[in-house]
Amino acid sequence: MNRLVTTLNSHRFLLLLVLLLFLFIVPFVMKESWVSLVNEMLVMALAGCALNLMLGYTGMISFGPAGLYAVGAYTTAILLTRYRFPFAIAVISAPVLAGIIGGLIGWFCVRRSAVYFALLTLAFAQIIWTIIFEWYGFTGGDNGIVSIPIPEFFFTISHCYYLTLTVVGISLLLLWTIVQSPFGKTLQAIRENPGRTEFIAIHLRRYQLSAFVLSSAFLGIAGSLFCIFSGSVFPDYAHWVKSTDMLVICLLGGFYNFGGPIVGSAVYIFLSKIISKETMFWMFFLGVIIVFLVLFMRNGIVGFLSEKLAPALHGTSRPSSDEEAQ
Amino acid sequence: MILETQKLAKSFGGLTAVHDVNLHIQEGELVSIIGPNGAGKTTLFNLLTGHISVDSGRVIFKEKDITQLPPHAISRMGIGRSFQRLNIFPRLSAFENIQVAVFSQQRKSRNIFARASKLARHETEAILESVGLLDKKNVTGGLLAHGDQKRLEMGIALAVEPSLLLLDEPTQGMSPKESGELTQLIQKLVRERGLTLIFVEHDMNVVFGISDSIIVLHQGKILFEGKPDKVRKNEEVQRVYLGDERGTWSSLLRK
Ligand SMILES: Nc1ncnc2c1ncn2[C@@H]1O[C@H](COP(=O)(O)OP(=O)(O)OP(=O)(O)O)[C@@H](O)[C@H]1O
Ligand SMILES: [Mg+2]
Repeated sequence: MNRLVTTLNSHRFLLLLVLLLFLFIVPFVMKESWVSLVNEMLVMALAGCALNLMLGYTGMISFGPAGLYAVGAYTTAILLTRYRFPFAIAVISAPVLAGIIGGLIGWFCVRRSAVYFALLTLAFAQIIWTIIFEWYGFTGGDNGIVSIPIPEFFFTISHCYYLTLTVVGISLLLLWTIVQSPFGKTLQAIRENPGRTEFIAIHLRRYQLSAFVLSSAFLGIAGSLFCIFSGSVFPDYAHWVKSTDMLVICLLGGFYNFGGPIVGSAVYIFLSKIISKETMFWMFFLGVIIVFLVLFMRNGIVGFLSEKLAPALHGTSRPSSDEEAQ
Repeated sequence: MILETQKLAKSFGGLTAVHDVNLHIQEGELVSIIGPNGAGKTTLFNLLTGHISVDSGRVIFKEKDITQLPPHAISRMGIGRSFQRLNIFPRLSAFENIQVAVFSQQRKSRNIFARASKLARHETEAILESVGLLDKKNVTGGLLAHGDQKRLEMGIALAVEPSLLLLDEPTQGMSPKESGELTQLIQKLVRERGLTLIFVEHDMNVVFGISDSIIVLHQGKILFEGKPDKVRKNEEVQRVYLGDERGTWSSLLRK
């Protein structure tokens, strides 16, 4: 088993290639309903990774990622429907506006301690939800916006899928670059010990705010992609339940791995498909998953696997998240 | 003069932790601050580095008033510090702990496109080497032995290339052997880099071994200050250092 795992890890690149190849042929080998499921997995993988830039990399626990996801979705929807903007501009505006609104929200949030940060982000997301829900004239209120005039080309489900695949791929590559950069390393130092960074001449709040803005922009891209795929937007996109989905995706896959939310999204969306999400049983099941993860698999699926691999690979292991949390 | 404080004061509620302290530190000096628990040593460091706000008085560093500046600005100007309680980045490797500080020093922390693992390797390894941790560079910081974590913490402070270094009990919790080694290392680093050092220390061997001058702090006030032999000759302090350390402080406290 260990040898298998070692082989897998040293062939990471190959694995990635196989995964990409698989994603590429999805529309050829799967029914439409499954294609749209994989599409949703991709979108939520991006949302999860975007959230994880704050959560796992910077150590800022946001309870309101769905608010910014919805800003992205509604930006594209409204620009297309109400103002007939060119498609490309409607899409590109999504991360820009989500980034700006993220900056405003972040400005209020980053000077708070963890609990207040979490509560404030939740509150801001609820404000966004309320605005969307109440402002019938502009957002369509609880009816949402349907029949969004996306280019006809994307009516074909496989075309739309490839758009998602491309944009998610590029976005994840960008996020990967960011977390590997000196900036990304600095964010990880902030996660580990924010107070200490100030004494190595790091302007702490500015870095936290930058992470907030970047995360928001990528959440905006995810929202916009989902808007294009479904051709409609609803206030639900901003609801705290959606935020919970994203948080559980990160928790399920593992915070401390770049790939965590990607695996988390695939598993979570798949589970929510086979156990219909609308039933009471789903809520119960979700509760059980969260309890299980927090009690037994703190570092998620990917963390769990790599903890099993790490000793085999380096002869050393990382401390579990518990011990050095203080 | 590299650092000067004028009537620096701080109280917490009714307790005056630092009481009108006037420091005059010359460039290249190696100064130790001693005093019983609760004397205000750490609080003084916290005031100098912007960690807590000053009630009254001024801090002047390299002829600039830094009294109101935030920690990151002060540290950018060249004051580095270590902490009494271990204060590292526990889940990053020893290498990364130092590298993050080197990035900051090189103004690279905002670079979002380069690959961190390829940058500042040489500088980072040089620091690791100078604090004696090069062979442990891939070990997770939080898993290092206590003494090594103390060294790592000093490395983090050094990586920002301070001209004034404040070390709060650098040998705390170390065996006499470890403590002796670290003391030599500190002395060497300070001389090599032309640093000015202020350090808080309870181990009198260390204090008398390496200090150019000694400041005795008591209940937030400077009780005595001068060269080691003067401190030794001073009747009060002499009486103090004849006994064991604990006896020492209780006699000071009785005063
Ligand atoms: N943030 C704070 N709030 C309230 N009181 C404080 C605070 N920080 C320090 N004090 C008090 O100020 C006094 C000086 O504390 P300080 O930590 O500076 O002493 P010290 O000389 O460093 O002692 P030690 O040798 O134990 O480290 C103590 O009585 C302490 O309880
Ligand atoms: Mg102290």
